[in-house]
Amino acid sequence: MDAMTSAAAGSDRAVRFTGYWREYLPIAATNVLLTIVTLGVYRFWATARQRRYLWSRTEVIGDRLEWSGSGKEMFIGFLMVMAVLIPFFLFIQFLFPALVARGKMEAASGIMLLFYIGLIYLGGFARFRALRYRLSRTYWRGIRGGSDEPGWNYGGEYLGRVALSAMTLWIAWPWAATRLWNGRWNQMSFGPLKFRTEIDAEGLKGCWAAVYLVPMAAFAVAGVIVALIGLGAAMSGSEPNPTFFAIIFGLFLAVYLIIPLMTLNWYAAFYRKAADELSLGDLEFGFDASTWDWLKLFLGNIGLAIVTLGFGISFWGYRNWAFMIRHFHLYGEVDASRLTQSTTHAPGEAEGFADAFDIGAL
Amino acid sequence: MRAVYYDGVTADRHDIDVGLDGESLQVGTDRVPLAELAVTDEDKERLVLSRAGSAGWRLIFEQPIDPEFRARLPHPTRYGSWIDRIGLAKASLVLAAVAAGVLVIGYAAPAIIAPLVPESWERNLGTAMVGDFGDNACRNPAASRALAAMSRRIDPATGGRAPITMTLIDVGIFNAAALPGGQIVIFDGALRDTKNPDAMAGILAHEMAHVRRRHVTQALIRELGIGALIRLFAGDVGANAQQLVSLSYTRANEYEADGDAIAALGRARIDPRPTAELFRELDKEDGPDFAAAEFLNSHPASGDRAKRFAAAYRPGTGYSPVISASDYKAMRDACPLKHDAEREKEEAEKGR
Repeated sequence: MDAMTSAAAGSDRAVRFTGYWREYLPIAATNVLLTIVTLGVYRFWATARQRRYLWSRTEVIGDRLEWSGSGKEMFIGFLMVMAVLIPFFLFIQFLFPALVARGKMEAASGIMLLFYIGLIYLGGFARFRALRYRLSRTYWRGIRGGSDEPGWNYGGEYLGRVALSAMTLWIAWPWAATRLWNGRWNQMSFGPLKFRTEIDAEGLKGCWAAVYLVPMAAFAVAGVIVALIGLGAAMSGSEPNPTFFAIIFGLFLAVYLIIPLMTLNWYAAFYRKAADELSLGDLEFGFDASTWDWLKLFLGNIGLAIVTLGFGISFWGYRNWAFMIRHFHLYGEVDASRLTQSTTHAPGEAEGFADAFDIGAL
Repeated sequence: MRAVYYDGVTADRHDIDVGLDGESLQVGTDRVPLAELAVTDEDKERLVLSRAGSAGWRLIFEQPIDPEFRARLPHPTRYGSWIDRIGLAKASLVLAAVAAGVLVIGYAAPAIIAPLVPESWERNLGTAMVGDFGDNACRNPAASRALAAMSRRIDPATGGRAPITMTLIDVGIFNAAALPGGQIVIFDGALRDTKNPDAMAGILAHEMAHVRRRHVTQALIRELGIGALIRLFAGDVGANAQQLVSLSYTRANEYEADGDAIAALGRARIDPRPTAELFRELDKEDGPDFAAAEFLNSHPASGDRAKRFAAAYRPGTGYSPVISASDYKAMRDACPLKHDAEREKEEAEKGR
């Protein structure tokens, strides 16, 4: 038996994506077809098929991953979530106009505030459950991951940290985001091994400040340039021409593109740091996608969708996964005989339902 | 046959020999019934088996495997068990037909189902909604009598039809609305801005038509029923929630209600021109009054409606006012103007 399985740096990468787009094409095409003819209901099965393929084409230290989740459990999970959310929405729908009709504007705004608080709480809860669900359905050498926590506490932590950083006009977001990352991942495990992470905002503050400062600086520079051109035109006595307005337009467009770019830059830095400082037993992780890599991914996705008249959207999941795996690194070794089956609550159907409230897990 | 075996207990890899033995597979010291096996993955390189009841139990064969052995194993799930059974092409056709049917029904069903919903079911909901207006409902005996007289004249409720209940609401928005269960609420703002009782009769006749035609029920079914279900699966949760928050009539419903209102005014010998005049005014308004703008948005273009009402005027008909001027004054004075900051402000400005 090869008890020690090593992911030491060497010739081959420990994590590899071996998928091929032409192999995935029939899956994407039939998923689109079936999703259309079922008026969207098939999308749960489509997601399961997509993941089954992507996971099976992902090799981790010589063995492939396996996705064991089913479309049916995600569908039922969705229905369960709707069974909770729809009465909630209906209640608000009747209560809010009733309060407005009584002229109780304060109470009506209060209800709306509570409504949004509830949504943020559920958003955090759902993120936790999505991560837990994905780990619990991911098998490697017959072993799966999971979490013993149901995520209710995390929802509260999420609400509190989001609210606090909103109060600081999001200036405190790096602190909130890193602690939330820790709060989520420190509850997760694979087999008997616990994920460990203790990241802080160190090294991310500059990137976040840039989200505020770079657009301001660019705006100021643009203003100065425009003023100088205007002044020059006035001095020479010529009328402002169309080129002048085109320059102004271009400058302001550039300023508005800078904000999302700087945000992307921050997230790229965040995920590099977060992966670098995450560990599982003796395994260490890494992620090396630069802002430019992310930008190429997004522009590629959009370009693909345009060129294929929308069909390419069915390849976004494939491209995103391939991107993540290609930039993902794994170091260290795992003792296979000590990597025993996860003892986290076995995801039986009854609970898999709520687990399947599946939005972006990371 | 050689296979890689993971027992689902540890991540240890076992390279073992596997033998087919009647209805079961000899895996190491284990005899595994074939019926417990499922194919979780199969491609050009390998075949992966899992075992029912043993999470993580995996047996991996390198391709090519013995065709005879393969024939004894089940097929892997591809599109979903039901679709796999009948085939993709057939399933797509069946599903497309069902989808088309659902869309047709979703569009047509509310109008068909609405008349079948017992009015008593709706009445509780309507009473509750009017109850929601609480203290803002104006309870004034003289106004109630005037309102009842107006309502009787437009819709005599003959032939065993349930009477329609009207309630004045002390809120300064320009609107009147039909609620479930034969309830109509008239907001004080509409009374304030409508000086002619015949124009108010036109508005009420329109809302009463919504009640009689079961348009309210249709709207409820449309929003909460099949339409909502379809939208639910087609998009994300947030957008759907937004969709749920509005109850509205179709344009066809509005057109029908106007037609009925004109007929009702004709039968009751109420002049339709003041209603036409009201719509013309609404049409002219550039929308400083937000509530009025909202009222306009949910209805067809006011200009067209004005023309339609005006065209219904028949010279020589013995038109008479729907109620006396003094009765209408009682209606307009019924609400005590509380909770109405906008109106208070307006009054204060007038007073200055």
